[in-house]
Amino acid sequence: MTPAVLVLLASAPCVYWTQGIESRGALEAAAIKRLCVPPDQVDTWRRAGFTVTPITEAELAAREALPTPGVTARAGLASPTRSPWIVADGWRFMRTPAAKYVYTAPAGKGALAAAEAFAYGADAVLKIDPADLGSVGTMMTFLDGLPAADLPPVADLAIVDDGSPLTGEVMNLLARRNLLFQVVQAPLPRFRVNIVMGTAAYPREEAGDPSAFAQKIRSQLTDEQRTLRVYGSEVVICRLTGDRQRMRLHLLNYGGRDIEGLRIRVRGTYRSGEALVPGAGRLPLEDQVVADGATEFSLPRIATYAVIDLR
Amino acid sequence: MHRRAFVRLLAAAASAKAAAGIDVAAKGPSRAPLAGRPQIRTGLPPLKVVSRYSPAAAAGMPGPYPGQVVAVKADKSVDISTGAANDTVVREMISQGMRALTGAGATADAWRRLFTPSDVVGIKVNCGGYPHCVSAYEIVAETVRQLMGIGVPVTQIYLYERFQNQLDEVNYGPHLPEGVQIVAAERANRYTDNSGYDPETYLEANLFGEEDTRSNMMRLVSKRLTKIINIPNMKDHGATGVTGCLKNIAYGSFSNVARTHQRGKSHTYSVVGTLASIEPLRSRTVLQIMDGLRGVWHGGPFARTTKYVFYPRQIMFGTDPVAIDRLLLDIIENKRREQGVLSIWDRSPSSLKMDDTRARDADPNVNIIIREPGHVEYASSLGLGMYDRARIKVQDVTV
Repeated sequence: MTPAVLVLLASAPCVYWTQGIESRGALEAAAIKRLCVPPDQVDTWRRAGFTVTPITEAELAAREALPTPGVTARAGLASPTRSPWIVADGWRFMRTPAAKYVYTAPAGKGALAAAEAFAYGADAVLKIDPADLGSVGTMMTFLDGLPAADLPPVADLAIVDDGSPLTGEVMNLLARRNLLFQVVQAPLPRFRVNIVMGTAAYPREEAGDPSAFAQKIRSQLTDEQRTLRVYGSEVVICRLTGDRQRMRLHLLNYGGRDIEGLRIRVRGTYRSGEALVPGAGRLPLEDQVVADGATEFSLPRIATYAVIDLR
Repeated sequence: MHRRAFVRLLAAAASAKAAAGIDVAAKGPSRAPLAGRPQIRTGLPPLKVVSRYSPAAAAGMPGPYPGQVVAVKADKSVDISTGAANDTVVREMISQGMRALTGAGATADAWRRLFTPSDVVGIKVNCGGYPHCVSAYEIVAETVRQLMGIGVPVTQIYLYERFQNQLDEVNYGPHLPEGVQIVAAERANRYTDNSGYDPETYLEANLFGEEDTRSNMMRLVSKRLTKIINIPNMKDHGATGVTGCLKNIAYGSFSNVARTHQRGKSHTYSVVGTLASIEPLRSRTVLQIMDGLRGVWHGGPFARTTKYVFYPRQIMFGTDPVAIDRLLLDIIENKRREQGVLSIWDRSPSSLKMDDTRARDADPNVNIIIREPGHVEYASSLGLGMYDRARIKVQDVTV
């Protein structure tokens, strides 16, 4: 494993809110205290005790619109239960970390969008369905309360970004398979695998099937040498940060159903750890085993998001 | 905590035998002989077994009666006009079957040969063929009655399946004494409940490029049970050819097994037997009672309609799952021949409508996956039992 150089400071996204001050009660009930609002509403919300950031329609429109995270069925390609097609935005954040983003999350997706942006330290504004106020509020409270851990992301390979859509799709597939990569401008010697599209080793036509291409990369790394493995689901995408002494693992469940007993394998020896779970607080890791240069444990339950701290 | 893991590479062990095998099935005619032919193959995916359990001194499979099967037949066991089983006849079939298998003079003594009052006994039922072909209430209830009769406390008897919704549908509870534990590992086949599985006992294999490469044994099996009774049905299976003792105990005791067969291809050939061979499942599965009161000759493992249901009206007893499944291959194949439809050994691409379950259900000449009835023979190569039909001793009993 190789810690990447860039450290992204995680911060919770901002909920964009256009309803009037009469909606204050609903926001307070959801424990949402930080908002992005149109400039003409800033003073009103501040007087009501909220932390607000003004954002204009133009600024919103200038942000990169993100697909709604989750799983979807694609005829002939995937089904939600067996081989799910995951829509995830983490690769976009990794590719363009300085960009500004906006989600328009339909009902049921707000909390996942908030967690996803936070996990990758993205500058994101979140338009939510009012029906999600409660779940988004719970998530925001959780994110705000997480102990700080500004650790570098961990990667097993590098991919040279040529800016092409094809390379973006390769990043997407790598991320969905929890193949931890770092986006670079030129190959880095410290990585065993450096993907440079259009070379003899990685011809563009091969990436025409990004799924097969991701399998090729997986074979090159070998499962044994991968820093991170996930067992018990194919709809949980992880972001791993840390070093030899400490790891923070972000787990994002895109499946929409709670998962029990998710099993994680992280290379390295970590004797203690805990899970931080929205709505449940701190939970001990279950069935923790340290063997063969790796640490394994199970997470009792994950709904949308969980953070694992290992030491 | 450090684990004491015994890691074996079964594929490597099997490959020596496989090297001598011939790939008949891949090249053979679509109507292969009933007996099939040796088909231990090369090129199988590597399967890594991780278990900290040692084999028992005498493994449950193939157990004390390798290559021996008692087939008890009774025309009056099922009213084929209604499908209803006759409880009294079934009891007598079980009594005679167990005595014939063990050589005991009394039924209770036959059960005592395999179980003691201190055992915690799991009964692996099959609910997948609901509503028309599941492990019969009458057989399950009589099994429980016999266990209690030799002193096994009712609270030490477990009925298990992987999915709770299937157990709920079949609803064995009203047919059983109060106190029998009815246990599933997952609420439903949704791939979200892993807590019921042992994280340290599993098969690891990358079959189709799936990310989750592990199939874990049920915690109930590894942590609680001391003995297991396997009660499969006589059913056709779209991926394995038949689903009998091996498939029921293997795929019914491990997680994440649907991944082994998809997009027309089945890795069940080597995975079924390998799962069945993993300790402690192998050592603890000490009795096979194949429920052939009803059967399914096409569309299995499901039986949503009676269209493909038939009535063998027999129960087979043994400790050797391979020997019983070897007979099952012929039973299903014979029935399909009688119906004038595709052999379970057929591998022709023209029969294949990949993943089209509707077409398969409508037409018994359609396969959705190339079936792997050779999984039974492969299991024999792992020492799970006797495959050679000529060496299997069948004792026929008529009630």
